[in-house]
Amino acid sequence: MIKWKKQHSAAIFISFLNNLKEMIISIIAVFIFGQSSQAGGSLFYTIFFALILVFSLGSGIIRWATFEYQLLDNELQIKQGLIFKKHRYIRKERIQSIDINAKLIQRLFQLVEIRIETAGGGTEPEFRIIALKRREAELIKEELLVRKSNLNNGDQDHSEVINEESLLEENKKQFYTWNLSFKRLLISAITSSGLGLAITFVAAVISQLPQLLPNTIYERVLGLFIHSSILLISFFVVLILFIGWLITLISSLLKYGQFHIKKDKDDIHISRGILEKRQLTLSAKRITAVRVVQNLLRQPLGYAAVYVESAGGGRKEEDLSTILIPICKKSEVNSILNNLLPQFSIKENEYKSLPKESVRRYMIKASIPFIFLAILMTYFIPYGWISFILPLGAAGIGFWQYIDAGIGNNDEMLLIKSRMISLTEVIVPRKRIQAMTTSQTILQKVDHLYTVQVSIISSIVGKTFSLRHISKNQIENLFLWYSYECRKHR
Amino acid sequence: MRELPNKKLAQKTLSVWKIVASIESVFLLLIPIAYYIGMRYIALPTWILYLILTAAIIYSLIKIIIIPKLKWQKWRYEIFENEVELMYGVFVVRRVIIPMIRVQHVDTKHGPLLRHYKLSSVTISTAATIHEIPGLEENKAGELRDYIAKLAREADQDD
Repeated sequence: MIKWKKQHSAAIFISFLNNLKEMIISIIAVFIFGQSSQAGGSLFYTIFFALILVFSLGSGIIRWATFEYQLLDNELQIKQGLIFKKHRYIRKERIQSIDINAKLIQRLFQLVEIRIETAGGGTEPEFRIIALKRREAELIKEELLVRKSNLNNGDQDHSEVINEESLLEENKKQFYTWNLSFKRLLISAITSSGLGLAITFVAAVISQLPQLLPNTIYERVLGLFIHSSILLISFFVVLILFIGWLITLISSLLKYGQFHIKKDKDDIHISRGILEKRQLTLSAKRITAVRVVQNLLRQPLGYAAVYVESAGGGRKEEDLSTILIPICKKSEVNSILNNLLPQFSIKENEYKSLPKESVRRYMIKASIPFIFLAILMTYFIPYGWISFILPLGAAGIGFWQYIDAGIGNNDEMLLIKSRMISLTEVIVPRKRIQAMTTSQTILQKVDHLYTVQVSIISSIVGKTFSLRHISKNQIENLFLWYSYECRKHR
Repeated sequence: MRELPNKKLAQKTLSVWKIVASIESVFLLLIPIAYYIGMRYIALPTWILYLILTAAIIYSLIKIIIIPKLKWQKWRYEIFENEVELMYGVFVVRRVIIPMIRVQHVDTKHGPLLRHYKLSSVTISTAATIHEIPGLEENKAGELRDYIAKLAREADQDD
């Protein structure tokens, strides 16, 4: 079956719309922020964007016309490019994961996008064909992936003979699925903490509104503002908060709708999304850390979200780490992890809290920026001294941070619990820690306190987790626990 | 408590650091110079010039004479069979443990200044972090690099 194939012709339209989608933010930005500058540019902008549209349509056509692929026994071959011709051979052994996504645009044409990720984190670790019939995509996936896992099994056979008993046990855990119920989804959307971002956005739009409205209205509203009481201002604040909350609510409903996890041996397949269907394949072997996060709204309700850091995978839009479970009861985290990632399930809480010397450091650190803010406000704004409750509140949060912070370890795992605003628990296997750093500032030296940092691989670059102000005793334990030298001599 | 690492950097590293600090201080002097030039065009008080100048000089002196010395005294490292340990920092003292198994590659490198003093720095990279031992005699740095590379190769991969 040696035959070069083209993508579905809808690919032109899809890549065009994709370009458009990427630009839409900058277009909006130009419209919102650009208008306050000289008005003479509006014709220029129109021509400018028209040119961009024509150009991206043209490039879409060229890309479609020059893109060809064929599926052979052991590899996928791809030809692309008009001026710079590029041939890529993707060999089966190098393929790490194949994801089939259906974004909104693809769904319009009942097509899917296939994304192939290969090992060897070069500059182009992943590869996409953006318009395929689902059947065709499934065929490619099957051809390239299924036989690969057969190959792997053959390799592993002799090494697995040794622990047959544990193998039986393992078999039960090999297949596992987990779904997000609608009730949970709703709770997750309501308590989502993307709020801040949405509020900033709404506030930015509202602050630019005056430029769009006629002058008289603007002046009248401004007049109202000046004459009116705190009541009206607080009404506006509440309005902004509410709109922001609504936006996050809807966006996370769309994002995490139909969330589904399937575990198949070492691969964890995550699919999610209502409008845009996304699929993600994680290899359990490559997961370097697990984070359990409880934000302010979720903690009192007993809910938590679970993220994983993984070497490779983790897209830009996911903030370089991947969400494993959008929401579940905190008490369920362990049993779910036990099924999905058995090595990361911890038996009991083994956290040890921080020494009492560190409490005031947490409180002072949290309140210092607000003290400056309060001083400024007292100086410039009438009744500004009221703002001195801010540093007090911050000190309270600092105290809370101290109470919640903790560190612990069992033989294989390091556990760090800390709070900025949300409560985060990090579970890092010892053998995933690339380097451990302890540090002590001059101020910490007074009370024999230390800060610990561990670095792991996450996506392409590293990530560091740290905990401030731990005791000398705890740091010694960490040295003993982590040091490969100490272990050998024990 | 775990014993502190016991190897020190080459004595001549101190001279290199002092030279680097001096060069950086020259740039610092640009601030009062810029202010002086500004004074010729805009009416600016003279006492601020003296203030900036004194501050720049004092800061430079501390930076050239005291800091490198403290920094050099604090810098320690030790290579064990299974890990590399570093300890450094004046105001913030850091101790780093890099297990041999995690070491991906070791480099030596030297710029013109280090080369003039026949020094090299050794860079140890893991998959997530990069660490540097900033000044060793050239041949010693080379030996160290080969030694670490050898230990890293031999380290147990299955752990």
